[in-house]
Amino acid sequence: MNVSESLHARWSLDSGEHEHVVFRVEGIHCTGCARNIERAVHALPDIERVRVDSAAARVSVDWLGAGASGLPQILAAVERAGFRVVPLAGDAATDAYQKERHAALKRFGLASLGMMQAMMYLAALYGASDIDAAMTQLMRVAGMVIVTPVLFYSGAPFLGGAWRDLVRRRLGMDVPVALALLLAWLPSVVNTLRGTGEVYFDSVGMFIFFLSAGRFIEMGLRHRGLTSAEALARSLPAQVTRVRPDGGREKATAAAIAIGDRFIVPTGGIVAVDAQLATDLPPESIGLLDESLITGESLAVTRRAGEAVRGGSLNVGGALTLVATATVGDSTLASIVGLLDRAQRERPSIARAADAAASWFVLVVLALAALTATAWGLYDSTRAFGAVLAVLVVTCPCALSLATPAVLAAVTARLARMGVLVTHGDAIERLARIDTVVLDKTGTLTLPSTAITDIKLPPNHESQPVLAIAAALERGSLHPIARAFVPHEEPTICAQSVRELSGEGVEGVIAGETWRLGTFGFAGGLASFPPSTATFGNGVDSTLYLGNSAGLAAAFEVGAPLRPDARDVIRELRGLGLQIVIASGDNEAGVRTTARSLDVSRAHSRMSPQSKIDFVAGLRSQGHKVFMIGDGINDGPVLAAADVSCAMGEGSAVAQSAADLLLLHDGLGSLPGAVTAARQGMRVVRQNLAWALGYNLMSVPLAAFGLVPPWLAALGMSLSSLLVVLNARRIGAESRAP
Amino acid sequence: MSIAYLLVSLGLGVLVFAVWALFWAVDSGQFDDLESQGSAILEDDPAAPHRPEPPSGQ
Repeated sequence: MNVSESLHARWSLDSGEHEHVVFRVEGIHCTGCARNIERAVHALPDIERVRVDSAAARVSVDWLGAGASGLPQILAAVERAGFRVVPLAGDAATDAYQKERHAALKRFGLASLGMMQAMMYLAALYGASDIDAAMTQLMRVAGMVIVTPVLFYSGAPFLGGAWRDLVRRRLGMDVPVALALLLAWLPSVVNTLRGTGEVYFDSVGMFIFFLSAGRFIEMGLRHRGLTSAEALARSLPAQVTRVRPDGGREKATAAAIAIGDRFIVPTGGIVAVDAQLATDLPPESIGLLDESLITGESLAVTRRAGEAVRGGSLNVGGALTLVATATVGDSTLASIVGLLDRAQRERPSIARAADAAASWFVLVVLALAALTATAWGLYDSTRAFGAVLAVLVVTCPCALSLATPAVLAAVTARLARMGVLVTHGDAIERLARIDTVVLDKTGTLTLPSTAITDIKLPPNHESQPVLAIAAALERGSLHPIARAFVPHEEPTICAQSVRELSGEGVEGVIAGETWRLGTFGFAGGLASFPPSTATFGNGVDSTLYLGNSAGLAAAFEVGAPLRPDARDVIRELRGLGLQIVIASGDNEAGVRTTARSLDVSRAHSRMSPQSKIDFVAGLRSQGHKVFMIGDGINDGPVLAAADVSCAMGEGSAVAQSAADLLLLHDGLGSLPGAVTAARQGMRVVRQNLAWALGYNLMSVPLAAFGLVPPWLAALGMSLSSLLVVLNARRIGAESRAP
Repeated sequence: MSIAYLLVSLGLGVLVFAVWALFWAVDSGQFDDLESQGSAILEDDPAAPHRPEPPSGQ
């Protein structure tokens, strides 16, 4: 399968009128390269949108399916622009990483060995006056022999990048770098061959060494950022074993699976699409699935016949027969991948600003170099060359071009490891600035599933037998309340001839006796006398009653308990200096109980969706930056009204979510960490920008006035870029410790 | 004095060898996986196939 076909098989999620593809490109080093690719693809007919993420080296293209351009033309255009296309998914992507890493290691290795050796020879000439001419010449020739291959092998990415920029008549970050390298190298070669004049081989070697070191570290950051996001995408199997209606088996591409198709997932296989366990299996067959890819939860979950299985789950039990409930394009995993992709297609505003600034920066540097040359030419032409070289070498655009996207990639990767999915490029920046957290109650502070919160029994009765009876009655029921009884099931107690009366409850026969579970009147209706109101009251809506011919046996209060981690999370968020507000549509008593148990003083109850929106808008108009957390199912507009929003990524709601962040873990536990990571990331961006500004403002005038020798300029620029990239790396490194 | 010519060319020879050795090491995958090889000695069965992750509170 060639690149074009495999890309299509995996990535054409919206086939038909609008086509969409994502792929990776080798050789992107700066934002200028990204613009070259955008330009090249946009030149084709019927292209709707092209986005290039230089930090992740990803390109995504939307085009009209019926138009004149197809995938082959797009890939050809990218390759004509001088970049190599690699597929995003599958083994080829891993190979491409490997190759890029090998090439970068060799460049870096050659540069470091060459730099050391050249320095060893040429340092002998520093300030030495008693060395004879023949020896001096020998050292210079040795320096030239070492540094020339270093320049053209290790420095190839910079020279090549600058060449591409010039051919396309654009200004990229590589232009001043390549200009400086060649300007230092060429006169040194000439002077060596003539046997007189200055040589700068040691400076060239050191410059390339530090530049390759920066690139190598930056590449590591990018790969690490990608692995977490792409582990998701890459995990989708391309082929599925489908069961034909006649019972035979065939191999089919995952994209060909339709809703209702039966397919087999072997042990260790990954479920390709959202599905449910086939219902006609023997009841004792249980699926054991590891959903860690999607939720980050490493404990395997069990699934019984008829229960839903998420696409992307790893089958750690025996082989399973599943029935597809969604196509590849609509499955949870595809939705997550789509959201990730959307996040990466949107260039965050901070990165856009850096792009624009970087392009101006290069222009200003070249203008300053020209100005320096002219001024020194008039004053003292012998020193003009050194000063121009110093200006070109000393300026460091790295904080602008590389470090900001690298920081955002590192924060995104760190959040992904915590189980927080970033779906909007701007989200990290906005999350760092919040001062108020507004939480919904139901499904957010409380568990989405119901549980039995209270049991009322006649005097001197045990709760366990009645619970087991109730659980047996509810077994197999699809009503949400039935889930509350699942933990109390006992395999030995089974109900026969169970029937469900909608609005009333369930009825069934257990050990020869008829039982009813449901409303007060329904459950009490089996007895010939009216139920005792002394124990059970007069019947409340949220209460389920269990009864048989002997009268009522128990009353179960069913509700949604608080998430176990809610209290700690609220305390930690408050520790971060955030104001906590609960805004719920629930009744006052329920909200007050929740607020009291969480120590939250500001709680608003009985809020309609519209009044929640008004409330959030009111907070924002007072100057607060609001972080809204909801269950993501019915509070989309409220989430959209906040500065930044987060939804609980449970169930199928993931796809439609309007939230900026999704919590893929069960529970709220990762929220404080996410806020901390975002703040830390933005702090690093600010540090980098401040450093870049201060360094350049200080060093460029010094260089222009001829006060910086070339070797010091190379050292200053290299250390400055290393500092910026290492600063970005801190984020990824700290996240290793849990 | 002429010993310097010998020493410089010897130095260049060592450099060429070092670069060759490094390139060989990179190409043969010596730097691909720096972590798991170190703990390989602790694993009982080197031929064991890929095992599912044991549940851990990660």
